[in-house]
Amino acid sequence: MWWMADCLGAVLFAGGLAHLIGGNIAFHQIDTIGASLLLGGGLLRGLVQAMARVRGTIASVAVQKKLRHALVPRLLPSRVARGRMVGEDMHLAIDSVAATEGHVARFMPLRMAAGLSPLIIALCAAPASYVSAGIMMATLPPFIVGMILAGGAAARRAEAQHVALSRLSGLFVDRVRTLPTILAFSGEERIARHLGEAAREVARRTMAVLAIAFASSAILEFFAALSVALVAVYCGFSLLGLLPFPAPEHLTLARAFFVLALAPEFYIGLRRLAAAYHDKQQGEAAIAAMVAEQDKVPELAPQIAAPRVWSGRGVILTHDSGDQTPEGGNARIGPLDWDWDSPGLHVVTGPTGSGKTSLLTALIGQVAIVGGTITADGAPFAPGSTNDAVGWAGQSVALLPETLRANLAFGSADDATMRACLDALGLGPMLERRGGLDLVLDHKGSGLSGGERRRIGLARAILSGRPVLLLDEPTADLDEGSAAMVRAVLRDLAADRLVIAATHDDALVAAARSVTKVLP
Amino acid sequence: MIALLVTPLRAQRRWLRLAVLCAVLAAFAGVGLLAVSGWFLAGAALAGTGGIVAVQAFNYLLPSAAIRAAAITRTGARHGERLLGHRAALHALAEVRTTLFGQVARAALGGHDAGRSGLVANRLGRDVDALEDAVIRRVAAAGAGAGALAGLAGTVALGWQAVPVMLAALVLMRLVGRGMAARMIPAASARTAAAHADMQADYADIAGPAADIAVYGLGPAMTAALDATAARRDEAALAIARAEAAITATQTAIAAVTLTVLALVAHVSAPLLALGLLAAAAGLETWAGLVATDLRRHQVEQAEERLLELGRDSDRVAPPAHLTANPALSIAGRTFAPGTRLRIGGPSGAGKTRLVETLVGLRGDAPQDLAVDGKDPRGLGLGALRSIFSLAGQDVPLIAGSIADNLRLARPGTNEDEMWAALRIACIDDVVRTMAGGLDEWLGGEGARLSGGQKRRLVLARALLAERPWLVLDEPSEGLDAATEALLVERLRGWLDTTGAGLVLVSHRPAMSALATQVVEVQPLG
Repeated sequence: MWWMADCLGAVLFAGGLAHLIGGNIAFHQIDTIGASLLLGGGLLRGLVQAMARVRGTIASVAVQKKLRHALVPRLLPSRVARGRMVGEDMHLAIDSVAATEGHVARFMPLRMAAGLSPLIIALCAAPASYVSAGIMMATLPPFIVGMILAGGAAARRAEAQHVALSRLSGLFVDRVRTLPTILAFSGEERIARHLGEAAREVARRTMAVLAIAFASSAILEFFAALSVALVAVYCGFSLLGLLPFPAPEHLTLARAFFVLALAPEFYIGLRRLAAAYHDKQQGEAAIAAMVAEQDKVPELAPQIAAPRVWSGRGVILTHDSGDQTPEGGNARIGPLDWDWDSPGLHVVTGPTGSGKTSLLTALIGQVAIVGGTITADGAPFAPGSTNDAVGWAGQSVALLPETLRANLAFGSADDATMRACLDALGLGPMLERRGGLDLVLDHKGSGLSGGERRRIGLARAILSGRPVLLLDEPTADLDEGSAAMVRAVLRDLAADRLVIAATHDDALVAAARSVTKVLP
Repeated sequence: MIALLVTPLRAQRRWLRLAVLCAVLAAFAGVGLLAVSGWFLAGAALAGTGGIVAVQAFNYLLPSAAIRAAAITRTGARHGERLLGHRAALHALAEVRTTLFGQVARAALGGHDAGRSGLVANRLGRDVDALEDAVIRRVAAAGAGAGALAGLAGTVALGWQAVPVMLAALVLMRLVGRGMAARMIPAASARTAAAHADMQADYADIAGPAADIAVYGLGPAMTAALDATAARRDEAALAIARAEAAITATQTAIAAVTLTVLALVAHVSAPLLALGLLAAAAGLETWAGLVATDLRRHQVEQAEERLLELGRDSDRVAPPAHLTANPALSIAGRTFAPGTRLRIGGPSGAGKTRLVETLVGLRGDAPQDLAVDGKDPRGLGLGALRSIFSLAGQDVPLIAGSIADNLRLARPGTNEDEMWAALRIACIDDVVRTMAGGLDEWLGGEGARLSGGQKRRLVLARALLAERPWLVLDEPSEGLDAATEALLVERLRGWLDTTGAGLVLVSHRPAMSALATQVVEVQPLG
């Protein structure tokens, strides 16, 4: 939009110039109309281009927000299932989204303008000299043909240029990335020499690609120059009355000058567009990376009712390429044999690293199960298919940067119930001190101890009112007094809910209806 | 002048000069095209009104030829400018990259740098690209200077009063452009970078407990929680956009005012007025293009500073300590003679990979007691340890290049027979044989055509070729079926028997573990 207004500025400027020079013949005196048109046109262009830049950024900021809100809610819950590290997802959600700025802020508005601005300029030139407008328009088809002949559209060429330039940079980045390996084999001098040779070689090959790639810019330049030259020569000969054909229109100097000043503007949109091509490349690569990662987000399993009997047999093989197990690949849990019937407290126990946490996260679909049999009420159980009935409390707790009340409000509990639950878990004194349910948290849980965070997670699971509770180490990080309170709460809950806890805590194990031992 | 570029650019002097010449020609032709066109039109109009005699007296052949020549020159010279400028930049930066790689390598030899290299690599890549951009921009700056000069020459046609006006405008534009950029850009980009880093930190904080987010559907709420920091970043980005917009608009405004003043002070005939005004307009426009350099100056300076810092780091590295050629190892209080085959055992997550990577000098954070030749490897660094160990591990990467490039890394000047023998022991020879390129098959940036298990075995073959006194293997048989694994164990045993090398093995698989004669158990901390 603003780039269109830039055309208007150009027209005013051209008008001013034409008035000045056209008027000069007749009066030879100071031409205020011409001068003010000139000044106004120039200032307008400056203003409008600045507005275009700012508006573009505002638009791109809005697009970034939209992208983030579409992408992040899908990335966050599925990170472990996709086997990605926090850093990788972070790069996509923050850096890649930011990389779309140039595309949205500069390239997209310029592309719109590039299509229309030649037509606007030609339309404005037409009343002064329709032949000149025709000349400008007539250079367009051969320009387009030239672009096609130069090897498809300008886009493909610019792409080749981009690829060629990034190849060299990529090789260098690879060698620095793999530097520890290169050093370990004492290969640094050889590799440095090779890098030099390769860089020179890539530079040579890149030049061949660039020679063609720049052809599209040369064609653009050529037609831009040609339209100016043709308009100038036509107008000149027309003014001289020396046209080799009958003059189709009567030109005055002012009119001729007006179209001459407009002639360079005819191609300016396309030239600006070509200059912003890198922005497009960057933006499109970022979008492609986001789409590719979103495609990997697993489908949500159709939800079933909470199982009355939940069973598992054999060696449970989980596939986990992420950061849950340092070894990556398949993790073997078991062999196991369990029947958890509801209601009741059941525990999973075993040494660290045996796969207790993996088993629980597999049940909620965070880690894929590739071997072993798990059934719910006798039917094969799809991981994650009962998530709506699961209250989960893991080793780390995701807190919303809102009040404690908002963080606990995933069921129908009222304030009194919430307070009672927190009291029962031993959080009463903390609550008193910190302002009750109105305590405002941040996403790091600053000001809370590890044990307090844990128990807030536990309270959230309990208060959700969901019939199945999956708890990972519910008494870890707690002193004996608090642990005893938590155990008492869990025993009470087991009267009407299915409570499953992975734990090292012997007292909790002793209270359980069934114990599933996992050995490494 | 960018210090890093001085020597490399000297070698490219010839091309750089040609590029600058082209840029100058293109600028002259660009200004000339408009100026001569204007002069021709006005002259033709005067002659046209002056009657047939005046028309015939008017030399139209010369200007119309000049217009055509200027159009062609501008096109050709711009093409040359682009091509030659990129040529000089690409070749000069090829040298810079080589020098930098040497410096990074020297600096890294002193320290332990396992995980950081990926981040450093990307940082370096971007910084070097910024320098490359700066070279191309220098050529463009020469063109801008020439354009301004041509514009100034054109204003002579407007009379003597016009020249100082134009001159003052050119100086003013530069002063204002540089001044505004120096005042507005660094603060805004620092704020953007800080807010961006905060967003990254926030994301890392909230992305940890994925299970909570999945079960309670916290995704949208967590996303909204990022908005406050995002708003700060957006505001800073907008400040940069406003600064850039203001700087560019100011240039355009100064140019417009200058042209108006020129038009008002000029008292000359129409053809000269046309020539002067159009030349000045074209010249000022080219000159205004220089602000692009101002806007990036801060970025380039920072990139250069970081790259120079690398060179300083590389000068501080001490020479490596001396170790005996075939030393004994000691791990967690137990000592192993050269040639021992030992396995590191322990549950997942106990830190076995960390232990072996610390042992070979790739990192320094294993908590166990370790010694090589009686000295702690954490104090020795990769420079001393690399002649002792060759590691084939889970995260040891292949370099972008052919299979042969990767193997030659371990043993320079090795022949095809040796390479095939190593591939055979690693049970990957049959896979390489089926590839169209064989040993010359190109592996992408990350050895992309191979599966994880195949990559691991290629890395193993490379480690075998290095023939160090200790072979360190971290889960070498992952992704292998039982039959192939048995074959791999068989062949590795043969190789160990022949070479007498010691083995440090990390493996969960019983077949593989049978290679070891001794076991060190590692327990997780806490």
